[in-house]
Amino acid sequence: MGQVYLEREEEAACVIMCASVKYNIRGPALIPRMKSKHRIYYITLFSIVLLGLIATGMFQFWPHSIESSSDWSVEKRSVRDVPVVRLPADSPIPERGDLSCRMHTCFDVYRCGFNPKNKIKVYIYSLKKYVDDFGVPVSNTISREYNELLTAISDSDYYTDDISRACLFVPSIDVLNQNTLRIKETAQALAQLSRWDRGTNHLLFNMLPGGPPDYNTALDVPRDRALLAGGGFSTWTYRQGYDVSIPVYSPLSAEVELPEKGPGPRRYFLLSSQPAVHPEYREDLEALQARHGEAVLVLDKCTNLSEGVLSVRRRCHKHQVFDYPQVLQEATFCVVLRGARLGQAVLSDVLRAGCVPVVIADSYVLPFSEVLDWKRASVVVPEEKMSEAYSILQSIPQRQIEEMQRQARWFWEAYFQSIKAIALATLQIINDRIYPYAALSYEEWNDPPTVKRGSVSNPLFLPLIPPQSQGFTAIVLTYDRVESLFRVITEVSKVPSLSKLLVVWNNQNKNPPEDSLWPKIRVPLKVVRTAENKLSNRFFPYDEIETEAVLAIDDDIIMLTSDELQFGYEVWREFPDRLVGYPGRLHLWDHEMNKWKYESEWTNEVSMVLTGAAFYHKYFNYLYTYKMPGDIKNWVDAHMNCEDIAMNFLVANVTGKAVIKVTPRKKFKCPECTAIDGLSLDQTHMVERSECINKFASVFGTMPLKVVEHRADPVLYKDDFPEKLKSFPNIGSL
Amino acid sequence: MQSWRGKSLWLALSASWLLILLRVFPLLRLAVPARPWASAPQGWPRWLDTELLPSFSQPGELPEDAPQPPQAPRGGGCDWGACFDASKCRTGGLKVFVHPVAGPISASHRKILASIESSRYHTASPEEACLLLFLSLEVPAGECSPVPQQWNGGRNHLVLDLHPAPCPQTFQLGRAMVAKASPTVDTFRPGFDVALPLLPEAHPLRGGAPGQLRQHSPHPGVPLLALAEERGGWRTAGTDPSTCPWDGRCEQDRGPEQTHPGGTLPNATFCLIPGHRPDALHFLQALQAGCIPVLLSPRWELPFSEVIDWTKAAIVADERLPFQVLAALQEMPLTRVLALRQQTQFLWDAYFSSVEKVMHTTLEIIQDRIFGASAHASLLWNSPPGALLALPTFSTSLSDFPFYHLQWGSRPVGRFSALIWVGAPGQPPLKLIQAVAGSQNCAQVSDRFFPHRAISTDAILSLDAHSSVTTSEVDFAFLVWQSFPERMVGFLTWNHFWDEAQGGWGYTAERANEFSMVLTSAAFYHRYYHTLFTHSLPKALRTLADETPTCVDILMNFLVAAVTKLPPIKVPYGKQHFEATPPLVPGGPEPQPTARDCINQMAAGFGYMPLVSSRLRLDPVLFKDPVSVLRKKYRSLEKP
Repeated sequence: MGQVYLEREEEAACVIMCASVKYNIRGPALIPRMKSKHRIYYITLFSIVLLGLIATGMFQFWPHSIESSSDWSVEKRSVRDVPVVRLPADSPIPERGDLSCRMHTCFDVYRCGFNPKNKIKVYIYSLKKYVDDFGVPVSNTISREYNELLTAISDSDYYTDDISRACLFVPSIDVLNQNTLRIKETAQALAQLSRWDRGTNHLLFNMLPGGPPDYNTALDVPRDRALLAGGGFSTWTYRQGYDVSIPVYSPLSAEVELPEKGPGPRRYFLLSSQPAVHPEYREDLEALQARHGEAVLVLDKCTNLSEGVLSVRRRCHKHQVFDYPQVLQEATFCVVLRGARLGQAVLSDVLRAGCVPVVIADSYVLPFSEVLDWKRASVVVPEEKMSEAYSILQSIPQRQIEEMQRQARWFWEAYFQSIKAIALATLQIINDRIYPYAALSYEEWNDPPTVKRGSVSNPLFLPLIPPQSQGFTAIVLTYDRVESLFRVITEVSKVPSLSKLLVVWNNQNKNPPEDSLWPKIRVPLKVVRTAENKLSNRFFPYDEIETEAVLAIDDDIIMLTSDELQFGYEVWREFPDRLVGYPGRLHLWDHEMNKWKYESEWTNEVSMVLTGAAFYHKYFNYLYTYKMPGDIKNWVDAHMNCEDIAMNFLVANVTGKAVIKVTPRKKFKCPECTAIDGLSLDQTHMVERSECINKFASVFGTMPLKVVEHRADPVLYKDDFPEKLKSFPNIGSL
Repeated sequence: MQSWRGKSLWLALSASWLLILLRVFPLLRLAVPARPWASAPQGWPRWLDTELLPSFSQPGELPEDAPQPPQAPRGGGCDWGACFDASKCRTGGLKVFVHPVAGPISASHRKILASIESSRYHTASPEEACLLLFLSLEVPAGECSPVPQQWNGGRNHLVLDLHPAPCPQTFQLGRAMVAKASPTVDTFRPGFDVALPLLPEAHPLRGGAPGQLRQHSPHPGVPLLALAEERGGWRTAGTDPSTCPWDGRCEQDRGPEQTHPGGTLPNATFCLIPGHRPDALHFLQALQAGCIPVLLSPRWELPFSEVIDWTKAAIVADERLPFQVLAALQEMPLTRVLALRQQTQFLWDAYFSSVEKVMHTTLEIIQDRIFGASAHASLLWNSPPGALLALPTFSTSLSDFPFYHLQWGSRPVGRFSALIWVGAPGQPPLKLIQAVAGSQNCAQVSDRFFPHRAISTDAILSLDAHSSVTTSEVDFAFLVWQSFPERMVGFLTWNHFWDEAQGGWGYTAERANEFSMVLTSAAFYHRYYHTLFTHSLPKALRTLADETPTCVDILMNFLVAAVTKLPPIKVPYGKQHFEATPPLVPGGPEPQPTARDCINQMAAGFGYMPLVSSRLRLDPVLFKDPVSVLRKKYRSLEKP
């Protein structure tokens, strides 16, 4: 609310300013030939009068702009004071619901227009009290739950107060319970809504449809094309992809404190807690109990309770009294049997207790079944097969039962818990239909948060060996070592599968050598100049990269043989979702220091490869540049180090897979180029690298690197076999 | 002067009036009780008497919901619970009987019959069957196939209808389910009917063309959009929104575009498919091509929508918002494009590429309905290798399968069982047992042929009595297998090749730079492949393998390669003199002619050649490096 008024305040300020500006421009023209003294006077007087006028004009807005506290902005009224609307007996009645309605036939999607945020806008009609010709109210003005529901929508991102921009309209006429309203008059009330238009884009919420004696499974109020979010749809009345099946809210959700109980074996295997069950079903249930004894418990309502005890909260078996809903937590499976209506509030209680619902209601469309995978949280048993229910349940392995219990509880927490949860899930489903390309995925709807965090999702999950003909693009990051760079280019160009060479010129102070000076090679050579000398430039997804395989190579790596590089590419083709590199490195847990340590000793294990020369999928360049978590990218650029460790972390984290080290190569430094200051330089280097690992592990929140004990060699490597018959005879040394 | 004073007075007066306006009136305004501002933005009001509002249902009303007797299904409508009797299937398993077809049948029908007969659910006796299949035939318009005998009101019947022009509804369906190609959404009964893909006449019986996707990410040069044309071809179009590429009415400049004749596959990132039913044929083409289908308000149900999560592979958009759709496609994040593309390929290969796959998927869906709680989890249907290859009868826990460890970044725990097959009774291979049992990872040694129940570990080390392996070789190989649990990890390899001279496949045991099979006489693999071997392979192939022992190796390699689409893994093997040919086949390194036939028969049985070659071997990190032996963990691997 506060925000809205703030905008208005700015508006007011603008009006004043704009006006005075105008005046200042026009002033001299209005009073052209006046003495300067008089002129000043008149100008002052005129502006005072004008300001006064403006102030009077703005009068109405003042209280709102001065007072930003909620007292002024939120309307405090009683429901009894809402305007009364009299419905003439002959006012129009909408058609009955059209069963063939689908989103593309009955829904006016143009009203949703183009919305960059891919979010529908929902308008709520203001509350009115409807009476007939005789002044008799049509229904309860509004129930607590419907008020909660409209409040939830109004507080959400979906809400708009601008009726002309709205895509979905929610009447404030409460139809949650059909029994509390007069059908014909309610329909007339709907029809006179200002944007009704045969119910197009109108959404009605109903939890208890039908009434005696035949209990229809959908709201009986004629509603034409309006969408219905209904509890208790059957497959006959549910318009797939148009209506939304919602839960019947259980008021106990808010009334009763029920601490969560984890999954696991419970006292009763199967429990029936519904008090009003048709005698035929009760017979079946009692037969089950007789057959399986203690494992099955069938409860009924209590008949001999003393006064003052809420009978809603008690259940009885013979003379034993149980607390409801607490007793649900004692059972592994709980029966959810249909009554007159298909949708039962007990489903919500059962899910909350982490009891797996056994739904016995033929043709019932389970709540939110469009998006929720009920197979993971419930067992559906046909009414006819009720007597077999026990054996059906027994065949489910214990591990799966626990999974279902967890899932049931999660469904309650996410979609059943409150009226708000129900309302927002309903709107999300409709939103997903209108903007399908921005819809939530199956996993987002169904996976509990614990699963979402723990799982990796490999972006390159399809087992696919790219064709050799595609080749790879070599990316050489260079600063100014031109001579060494040219040697690298010459060497790399000998690799048969090279298809393009990209030189990333990271030196802003010096121009790259002239075209004529570059080595002549058989593949295209492109030079990219960067704006800043950053290590991350090596992993930028340049448009020039046309192949999937990328070879990142430093401008001083001249020791790799052509066979070695070609073999590296062949290995990458078999593992296109991994980093394939030459020297391997390892991370270790330092028990003394209690942190990670970088290890470059020649060990039997490998968890990283150096990207001084490594093959990988170009998609990881995109990930590195745009999806690197936390401040890792900046850290790398600031420290001018560890870009390779960051890449190893990134790939391992997203794919959950280990690197592939190829060939015996252990280090890049050639024997003849000795380090300037060998040992001490080496040690600070190691400390810095260890620091990187610890930093990255804390940003990722986990240690994604995987340790393996294998490397890839050509099939006949070091085998007793004629060298000239081997595909990769010159595989290099350490 | 006077005028000056007067003016000052006026000025002072006006100024004080302004002051009053600014200062005093708001105070007065505050004193006045607040009146709701008529058009102020408000949202839903906070009512003063929220607490007093009645609940939508009175306590007691909810639980006391009037009881109602069981109801019969209304209006002749059917759903699974009401119209299908699953009790027979639950006791005897799903058994499918096909009503014999009277009269001449077309080639496509023959394919359907053949594929159902090859299914493990097929039975020849109608008494045993719990699902009866009725093939609706192509008949002159207006007529319908006669109702078969034992129709029984359509109970437990599945009517297969693969033609876009269906038999008019005069045909009394009764309680029968309908499996129809691209059914219209209005007549489709979710959870009861099965939506089939609209197959072209020439769809292969088995095997089928592999997906066209050669790389994970779209090639930078590929156009964004291809548009399905009415005549059956594809037109690639520019992406300038002003040209509205799929609307024939606007005849403006459409930008660079090309028209491709019918039958060719589209080469674009997205394929726009209009919603009319004949366009359903385009859907499969797009899927095969790895072109993400963008369906504009389809009037037909997507194939196998009951189990396949199409939001992972296609985009269903509203045809009335073309510019929004176009903008959304252009702005779609790369990660999503990648995922959608790969999913199209996986789905094509898993469920659509052959008539056999389509029919088996149909039966698998019905089997899943019967299973209820122990059916395939959604993940099994929607991630490689797909539900036809991940059998829920094996386990309902995903970590028991070899396929999902790598997807989750985990690895199988536990140890392995060594399985030694002994051909003829004789001296037990004591030395071998000793060597294998020496491994600390070995849980049990058994010498029976494929004893499913007795094997308790995920990993199996398959050996035969003549194999010779050392403990450290076994240890290293097991470690490698844990990193690649879905593949076979072996010591000895064969390679297959296309023999131009013979016009068929051949294979060789000679040492080469490539390999595509590992011998089961010494190999690690997942225990699940035993289940798959026994339950999913066609009987004919298994008989062939039983008759020719060499074929067992080939068949096992075919099976694993067909499931994983990846080559096996070779690990170093010390015994250089060991002959790679199985000892059961006497003769030189060249396999015998019968064995050569074997690979061709397998390829025919699978419908294609699933084997994939590899050029690498996984060695220990310090393998044969010139470093101190003491550093090395697997020293004994390097002994000559």
